[in-house]
Amino acid sequence: MRSRGRDRAALYAARAALFVAIVGGWEAGVRAGLLDPYFVSRPALIAGTIGEWFATGYIYPHIWATIEETVVGLAIGILAGVAVGALFAFSPFLSNVLHPLMVVLNAMPRIVLAPLFILWLGIGLASKVAMVVSLVFFIIFFSTYAGLKDVDPNLINHVRVMGGARANLLRHVLLPSALTWIFTSLRACVGFAVIGAILGEYLGADRGIGYLVQYGESLFNSNMVLSGLLVLMGFVAVLDIGLQWLETRFSHWKQKTL
Amino acid sequence: MIRLERVSKTFEGSGSSFTAVQDVSMTVGQGRFVSLVGPSGCGKSTLLGVIAGLIPVTAGRIELHDRTVTGVPSDIGYLFQRDALLPWKTVFENVALPLVIRRVPAGEIRERVQRWITRVGLAGFERYYPHQLSGGMRKRVSLAITLIYEPTVLLMDEPFSALDIQTRNLMENELLELWAETRNTVLFVTHDLEEAIALSDEVVVLTASPGRIKASYTIGLPRPRNVVEIRFLAEFTRLYEQIWKDLRDEVQASYAFTRA
Repeated sequence: MRSRGRDRAALYAARAALFVAIVGGWEAGVRAGLLDPYFVSRPALIAGTIGEWFATGYIYPHIWATIEETVVGLAIGILAGVAVGALFAFSPFLSNVLHPLMVVLNAMPRIVLAPLFILWLGIGLASKVAMVVSLVFFIIFFSTYAGLKDVDPNLINHVRVMGGARANLLRHVLLPSALTWIFTSLRACVGFAVIGAILGEYLGADRGIGYLVQYGESLFNSNMVLSGLLVLMGFVAVLDIGLQWLETRFSHWKQKTL
Repeated sequence: MIRLERVSKTFEGSGSSFTAVQDVSMTVGQGRFVSLVGPSGCGKSTLLGVIAGLIPVTAGRIELHDRTVTGVPSDIGYLFQRDALLPWKTVFENVALPLVIRRVPAGEIRERVQRWITRVGLAGFERYYPHQLSGGMRKRVSLAITLIYEPTVLLMDEPFSALDIQTRNLMENELLELWAETRNTVLFVTHDLEEAIALSDEVVVLTASPGRIKASYTIGLPRPRNVVEIRFLAEFTRLYEQIWKDLRDEVQASYAFTRA
């Protein structure tokens, strides 16, 4: 146990050292005149800007806008993905008819869709949500479909023989199996959802973290761009930690890999 | 009671068809322990699947307690070769599932599940997940699941074949003890003749593919039995020799078939 604790301490020390080296090197490089602050700003300046954003409350409506787009898009994308995935899994005919269409739609690069969404739905919430949904839906759709199709037939027979009707199979076998697939793709989904929201904001919006970065760029204000990116990184990190926690809670029955 | 009347099952593939069992007629009397032995691929498992209503027959008729089987009958238990525990449920939840499906009141479920878990020797493991148990322990859980809803007919598809020999003998003795109390009708599929003789009242030999009934032997060995010690009896050896002569030809035929 003791050596394990020491290993952890060494790990954290090394991480801290790396952080200090990067940030310190950056700051020192600018101050020594090796780096041009016009292009790369300076850590102290960035920290000041971010601090001011939070102190004045300037940043909150922007963070809120991004959260709203991400969460609404995620919710719609997940619900639609699960529903359509289940429909495909239970209706082989529908699946055979529409599967090629799904594959083609999924192959389309979503970036080129963003301007269209803005054209169709305006620069408000709807176009960003559409962007997020277009990314999340397919991931959830494919994993729901696979999760329902991949169920061990032995498990289904086992529950049928003990008297299980369709509803029992759904509740005790199919759903848990699909859930494990959906959960493994959920973290990827959140990542894509944030990308979708930011991309939408970047191309046309009046608020949001993506808008902030884009606004900074239009002013050639590297300090603002980098500050926006940093806020975005923090935002994604918090989301990811939350999801990790959720994942361990819902997959406690799984075998831990040694 | 199980009655099969000229049951055949042919699987249709794309362009080819395979007859797993052909014209099988047999009766397993109420409270009897009957084993089906035969070479691998002779349709033993198919017969169980057909009786359980999981596989539709191509021809013939199956009766369970004088009623024709159309879907999955409500009072059969089926012990699979590979255990089929739900990995996302604990031992307790797995054993409780048949009762949950039958909408048994929660208090009664708790009491009966606890009793069965104790009976198969797994008290203290209620909150474990299947992956945390050994193969033998998982088999015990499967046995508790199968017996907790008191099915009158038990179908067993080589349930112990994946276990090591000691665990296997232990489980066989436990099965006999449980069966002595419940006296369900049992149809036990195995490719192990010794296991079949040690457990059963009757051993039915199937032919190599397609499976037909070749012969049937009554096992008059005294009960209660210990599956290890019963092998020392002269009568056991005599029965083994007698049945093996039938079985050997089918095993050779099956081997020649798979090599061809």
